[in-house]
Amino acid sequence: MKSNITNYNSILYGREQAIQTFAVLADSVTKEYGKKEVLKKVNLKINKGEFYALMGPNGSGKTTLASILASVKSLTSGKIEIFGKKPEDAKKITGYVPQENFSSPLLTGKENLMYFAELLGYKKSEAVEMVEELLKKVGLWEDANKRVSHYSGGMRKRLEVATILFPGLKLLILDEPTTGLDPSARRKFLGLVQELRNKETTILLITHIGADADLASRVGLIDRGVIIAEDQPEKLKRNSGLENVVNIETSIKNNKVASLLSEFSEKMKVLETETGYRVFTEDVERATPKIVRSLDEIGCKVIRIETVKPSLEDVFFKLTERKVSEVD
Amino acid sequence: MLFWTIGWPIIWVLIGSFSFTGNAPPEIVAYTRGAISISMMVFGLMTAGMANLPGNIAQDRERGLLTKIMSMPISPWRDFTGRILALLAFSVLSAMLVIAVGFACGARFFFTGIDFMASLAFILLIFVASAGIGMLIGTFVKHVHGAIMSGVGLTVVSAALSGVMTPYAYLPSVLQDFARIYPISSANSAITYLLVGEEYAGYNPLSTSQPFLTALVALLLFVLGLITYSRFCWKKE
Repeated sequence: MKSNITNYNSILYGREQAIQTFAVLADSVTKEYGKKEVLKKVNLKINKGEFYALMGPNGSGKTTLASILASVKSLTSGKIEIFGKKPEDAKKITGYVPQENFSSPLLTGKENLMYFAELLGYKKSEAVEMVEELLKKVGLWEDANKRVSHYSGGMRKRLEVATILFPGLKLLILDEPTTGLDPSARRKFLGLVQELRNKETTILLITHIGADADLASRVGLIDRGVIIAEDQPEKLKRNSGLENVVNIETSIKNNKVASLLSEFSEKMKVLETETGYRVFTEDVERATPKIVRSLDEIGCKVIRIETVKPSLEDVFFKLTERKVSEVD
Repeated sequence: MLFWTIGWPIIWVLIGSFSFTGNAPPEIVAYTRGAISISMMVFGLMTAGMANLPGNIAQDRERGLLTKIMSMPISPWRDFTGRILALLAFSVLSAMLVIAVGFACGARFFFTGIDFMASLAFILLIFVASAGIGMLIGTFVKHVHGAIMSGVGLTVVSAALSGVMTPYAYLPSVLQDFARIYPISSANSAITYLLVGEEYAGYNPLSTSQPFLTALVALLLFVLGLITYSRFCWKKE
């Protein structure tokens, strides 16, 4: 029996058109490890040429879904199509960068890419030219002959992204590529990802960082194996019901401060950040002075207070009452 | 790993050549050193296959390279061939270095063309059997250190029990039987028999059925390792 999604596509676009339209089509995908259900009937459609970010906390199932799409893991039930093919038949058009740093630290950047070029069956003469081009594309040509052990985290990640830029790859899956990178390396890396966007290349970015997901044309929020929301980043924020967020840096962080701040947060808990808290309130102008006064009364200094637009982390928190950086 | 595959055998060639041959008559010292060099070369080949190979497999698994390769349009056989060729190059280097040190220490061998070629065939069988065992270890022992140390441990124990590192004649009969079945030790004895003489091998490992048994068990280990590796290391969870 054909799935609903496949039928829907076939009806709307005809079979051929459906294949061309969707780079990724996941229909009721379930993945179980023993009794633990990691993915629960996940449906996902990514258009050809789209930049899609799948955002969720660790353990939410996002890496498992990416691994299944990359044909590294099998699914328990459901159906997946990559440009109309089964994942195992779409390996030639799918490039996957796993979370771990898989490049060899003992080899140079150039040697690492030559290794992958040879694995992909390129002749040495072809590979040399191609590797040079790829190293230039990811901004590593000047460091091509340095050992990877001398690369920074950002350089190493860019080198690994170069392994999925060989010709013919249409779907690029990047699993948590910015984890562990410093802000400057992160910006540079995301700039590279932005450059990869074109009509022919579809990008799936797996992340738990809202600012990274913000760059995508569409974001799916995944929690406990279910995609709980999906839209353009701005629409997700707009439709979340969050108008403004008060971001507060405090001298103290404890339950007492959190409990006090929650009184100002409508129907919600406050979101704890590295330096303080985020409070969700509709009437920012009235709430802000009250917050400062109340904190002062309990001996907590406000180092900085500002009204900011909601982030994707805030949206995730609103929907799940859990931080996206939380581990299941 | 370089230490266990190259350093350790060379150290024992040096120790063996100058300590174990102290009271031996001069006419047999050179061939005793030859037998020691062969044993240590075999030990190096064993370590390369049984510890280096699983260590590399575990390392590739741990740092995500295996995941990356699995996502690419590459068959397990291609990955396997790459590993075996790399291991072969490393094993040849290790064997040549150990024998060269043996020569430098005064080891001598009987060289005839046919014996030399036959010895190479037995060296290949040692390589094949060690690689088979290595793939089994690499498939089931997930952590790098665990894989390497399991391989080194198995190499040392099996070499001691099967007559690679101890004279065959001094083994109890049950271990002598094991030495004939274990293809690495029977191949070691065959090489020693061909290049140094029967008195150093302890028995005639080229008697009718023995070379066939050696080849059969070595190939069986290799095929078992290969099937296990391609089925379980490349298994989609």
